[in-house]
Amino acid sequence: MKLRLNPIVKKDLQVTARSMRLSWGLFAYEAVLTMIFLLALALIEMANDSIYSDGNIYSSFIYLFPSLAAAQICIIGLIVPIITASSISGEKERQTFDIMLTTCMSPFSIVFGKVVSAVLRILFFVVAGMPVMALAFVVGGLGWINLFYFVLAVILFSVFSGSIGILCSSFCRKSITAVVLSFVFYFIIFFLTFLPALIRSLLDVYSAGESLLFLLFNPIVFFEEFFLLIMRGESAFGGEGFMFYRDDVGFVTYYLSQGKVWIFTSAICILGMSILFMLVAAWKVNPMNTYSYKRSKKKKGL
Amino acid sequence: MSTKAGRWEFVFAWMISMYVYRYTHHSQVGKGARLISMLHINKLTKNYGNFTAVNQLTLHIPEGDLFGFVGPNGAGKTTTIRIVCGLLRATSGTVRIGNTAAPVGSNKMKRQIGYVPDFFGVYDNLKVREYMDLYGSMYRMNSRDIAKLTDDLLELVNLVDKKEVYVDTLSRGMKQRLCVARALLHNPKLLILDEPNSGLDPRARVEMKELLKNLHSMGKTIVISSHILSELSEMCNSIGIMNRGHLITAGRIEDIMQQLTGGKRIHIRVISDKETAVRTLREQAGVVVESVLENEIIISNNGTDEQISELIGRLIQNQVILTDFYREEGSLESLFMQLTGGNAQ
Repeated sequence: MKLRLNPIVKKDLQVTARSMRLSWGLFAYEAVLTMIFLLALALIEMANDSIYSDGNIYSSFIYLFPSLAAAQICIIGLIVPIITASSISGEKERQTFDIMLTTCMSPFSIVFGKVVSAVLRILFFVVAGMPVMALAFVVGGLGWINLFYFVLAVILFSVFSGSIGILCSSFCRKSITAVVLSFVFYFIIFFLTFLPALIRSLLDVYSAGESLLFLLFNPIVFFEEFFLLIMRGESAFGGEGFMFYRDDVGFVTYYLSQGKVWIFTSAICILGMSILFMLVAAWKVNPMNTYSYKRSKKKKGL
Repeated sequence: MSTKAGRWEFVFAWMISMYVYRYTHHSQVGKGARLISMLHINKLTKNYGNFTAVNQLTLHIPEGDLFGFVGPNGAGKTTTIRIVCGLLRATSGTVRIGNTAAPVGSNKMKRQIGYVPDFFGVYDNLKVREYMDLYGSMYRMNSRDIAKLTDDLLELVNLVDKKEVYVDTLSRGMKQRLCVARALLHNPKLLILDEPNSGLDPRARVEMKELLKNLHSMGKTIVISSHILSELSEMCNSIGIMNRGHLITAGRIEDIMQQLTGGKRIHIRVISDKETAVRTLREQAGVVVESVLENEIIISNNGTDEQISELIGRLIQNQVILTDFYREEGSLESLFMQLTGGNAQ
């Protein structure tokens, strides 16, 4: 069987690679990462000079990695929805989307192609950011395997952000509306998945209870757990000092909220949510979908 | 033994008869459908709330036709085209292309149609060759076929020297021709163009017209929706006129003209004795004097050629000096205005 590259991915990469925007974007990205690296170094040095310091600057270098990684994730979280939110609505604005739909590309392959091309573009940035990240690893004492896990986590996060963008893009005619909507949607997901555990924690000081399971869908908690596990080998739900202290919970919640299991389960949940968003987007852009047809009939009293 | 042999003979004869039946039946269906239509639209309706954009449209376009879809804005042409191309779901009705019994929007159906929209969207930083390659891949064609067909099609649309040029640098006329080449890449049976000449300069229009004529001569079935009636009348061999979602008439242009306008009105030019001429004409049975101008009288007459020659003879007998005598040729514009009445834009 011959593997075929999704034509949209090929075209998007071709077009992006020729654009000066990509070069300037990479330049800006590198510049921001370098500045954050230098700032983090300065802060570590200042902290080391304080009276509370144990005087061992090398143990503080470990914080370079989460600083840079968090910056990278923030930038990616900002860029990916912009890329994907303007993808389908951009095609609609250019009036190329109708032509695309008359070809043998299924709506899902169009949507999937757009997300994959966004993820691949993000990988340009991740690869370009490697030298700066590597500095953090050299002085931070973390292994290459952690960098590999980090890249996997970034890909997962890009797919998630991309699927939100594409979902909003499928519902909006204009790119700018889609971009704004995708950030609103981002916030809603982060907040709604965080809310049950927060309320439960406020009501019961000792435990977030079963509401912890909602946090499986929250990428912020996923990365928090990821960094804690890599750097300290601890879980956010393990001890009393953590925000969501795990106590008085059932077996499933207890089993899931353990470091690696949590990360793995959360990754599956986030990926599942991303696939769901892509399916909804594909369904929305399909002119033959029965729901919009029935809804238009019902709405218009037919 | 003999009973067994008889049973086998019966089974064998039955199999042969089934094969013969299926073969002949299949052939008849195939040939019949080819003769009937390439595009077969049956009772197509599209409602948007209380507004009916297309109402019970039934249309058959024969294979090899260059069909002009005419109608004022909001007549339902684009809606019909979008339904045929699988870009819109019909409220009711069926669409069939050739002998394909696949539902609208299915890949099988999409492979039969080449669609050229009214507006040509471009991607920045994409060359003509890459543009063709992109759409060829979308039809799951292999790169060797795409490359070969791209060369042939670019030659056909006269863009072979622009192969390595970026699409966004082409003129609008060139882009439109490229769009036609793109629509032909997967060798569709039916080419549908929605307002292909809108926004083109006169030269580009002529080039597009020649291209479509060329494709028609190659045997492609083409459907064009357009407002430029004069061009349609020059290009198309059949038309369909839509108004307010209804198909008012469809068929060969000559037949429609003949049926509605052609041969009815006669212009008579006289240089003297106009009153005598008018009186003589009014005396003739079946002749209605429609208007009397300075040197011209327009009459309507449904008579045969013999009756008309008799009419000329009568005028000459009454000393009327004629300088011209001709039947009015029906134009697509007049036909369109006549059929759409006050509803035309």
